[in-house]
Amino acid sequence: MGYDLVIKGGRIYDGSGMPSYLSDIAVQNGRIVEIGRIQNGAARTIDAGGLAVAPGFVDHHTHMDAQIFWDPYATSEPQHGVTSIVMGNCGLTLAPAKPSDHDALVKSFVRVEAMPRSVLEAGVPWGWESFGEYLDALEGKVGVNVGGLVGHIAVRQYVMGEESVERAATTKEVEQMKRLVREAMESGALGFSTNRNERHMREDLKPVGSRLADDDELFALCQVLSELNSGVIETILGRNKIEHFKFYDRLARATGRPVLWQSLQHRWVEPNLWREQLDAVAPIFADGYQAYGLSHTVPLVRHFTLKNCQVFDEFPVWKALMFLPVEARREAFKDPATRQKMRADLADPRPVNFHRNWNVLKVEKPAKAENRKYAGKSIAELASMRGQDPLDAFLDLALEEDLDTVFWNANNGGDADAMGEILRSPYVLMGTSDAGAHVQFGADFGYGTTLLGLWVRERQLLTLEHAIHKLTFHVASIFGLQDRGLLRPGYAADIAIFDPKTVNAHEPEWAEDYPGKTKRLIQRSEGMHYTIVNGRPIYEDGRLTGDLPGRILRGSAHRDRHAAAA
Amino acid sequence: MGLSYVPVSRVGEISPGKMKPIELGGRQLLLAHLDGRYFVFARECPHEAADLQTGELENAQVRCANHGYCFDLTSGECVVPHGGPPLTTLPVEVRGEEICVKLEW
Repeated sequence: MGYDLVIKGGRIYDGSGMPSYLSDIAVQNGRIVEIGRIQNGAARTIDAGGLAVAPGFVDHHTHMDAQIFWDPYATSEPQHGVTSIVMGNCGLTLAPAKPSDHDALVKSFVRVEAMPRSVLEAGVPWGWESFGEYLDALEGKVGVNVGGLVGHIAVRQYVMGEESVERAATTKEVEQMKRLVREAMESGALGFSTNRNERHMREDLKPVGSRLADDDELFALCQVLSELNSGVIETILGRNKIEHFKFYDRLARATGRPVLWQSLQHRWVEPNLWREQLDAVAPIFADGYQAYGLSHTVPLVRHFTLKNCQVFDEFPVWKALMFLPVEARREAFKDPATRQKMRADLADPRPVNFHRNWNVLKVEKPAKAENRKYAGKSIAELASMRGQDPLDAFLDLALEEDLDTVFWNANNGGDADAMGEILRSPYVLMGTSDAGAHVQFGADFGYGTTLLGLWVRERQLLTLEHAIHKLTFHVASIFGLQDRGLLRPGYAADIAIFDPKTVNAHEPEWAEDYPGKTKRLIQRSEGMHYTIVNGRPIYEDGRLTGDLPGRILRGSAHRDRHAAAA
Repeated sequence: MGLSYVPVSRVGEISPGKMKPIELGGRQLLLAHLDGRYFVFARECPHEAADLQTGELENAQVRCANHGYCFDLTSGECVVPHGGPPLTTLPVEVRGEEICVKLEW
């Protein structure tokens, strides 16, 4: 018998984190049926020689709730090996919703997730009321697999109407909300999301409804997941504070469900916060509960010359100098008295975002050939090579090159040691792409390809096996995605095939592919050869195939209800 | 001490409640006219680099349209959320018919 698809000669990274191995994979009816030396023929054979073959990546933090209706591939997800997405994060969903709720939900998406109102008005084909009906509306129409959390904002709006953004709920209203959450979970939601971020308001500047929920309401709704023994609880509380961990601790212990919190990243301004956060969740895990921190892989890097530099804007003397005309700036940098002022300004101990660390700031690209030896060196190393004080070495090199030396700085995600510990931590859930949101301001579809290119290949902070595990089975396990996230016989044939020597993310670029030809940012990748969903390629040789093999991923409460009914 | 006044616009060239892109020292900035006062600040949000020209002005503050970060235009302080990264602001003086940035070092 011939298979539908055989992938020959690739190196299998199976998602478990175990060592990779050379093998073939056979696919039949959307599932992996055999792994080994495949002798049988197939309707299609893909030569994966020299390539990595991994489970498709799961992007668990998207806001694709609307985009998925006009873009069944959720682009640019397939370009980065993503085969499954989870929507409904941060309390925001398009269901449940009565017709009278539609505009209120749009108001939240427009403000919180920076989605153009005109796009939502043109692109969302309202017609559902319950969360299950919303998922049903997508069934059979998607290229990637799609799952969703049910959002607190929509649940509250459904029960309380406009009073949801004005007051606490009554006991009766909380009971109604609990019924809605149960109904959503039993019809396929992968969990429940809420939002207490002080920045999150609607278009009319009223707080999103979930911000008015007290702990009694929130815990009562999360308790539904506990009773069903299903789903994750996704939270956003706002600016990171260590006090938040008492809340996560209580929620995780009270419900027994995985709690997801935002977020964890190394920042020089609070260089130990990430470690304190991980230390704070360790006792939760030690006692058998789960509270995963979301983290990102894309460092906020600045490439700058002293002709166009904002890195030092927190220092008044430096800031004034950086806005002078270039010739006057050059003369000022030569002046010993000015340098002394710059030195004193930098030494002022007030708290700032800049790290004041000459070991972090680097020479990225010298302008002159004779200075190429400094490329990649930190300013501290540059100073040592030149026998100078770091500030003098920094300014003198720039002056020698007419201020055209390119320097590198990263206030966030720039400490490789910290990034290594964060990326490798089992308590950290990788990826906050926010895909489908903030579409005119950024595009982070490539958090996975950045992990593989920057942190695995270039910086070697974790193995490829470990990185693949973090992008696949780690996520699928937490979200309860049945039969996904591993390359094993019986599992869904969601597969990413890529070249580990080249895989990476490109810089975002503009496209006019939203409803009404509205502009948004997309992101291409390097080295991603095939993205296969349920055994059928949706992306190959740099193009979408036009096939729509995606499924709606429904959670265990849905499966349990149907099993009981059967 | 170094002191320099750099003209960035003429009075009357910017309407009340509006923002106008300007360039100074190779940097992209915004000039805002609010309640009879002028403010000059970086065009790029210090949170995730969004263009603040798409934001909203109110009560001597600018609110970023991307994630809702809000900045005091006098001090640059991030007021929502408190303790967020500061916005680069520059002191402004009207000298005759010219709106000038005052650079002091």
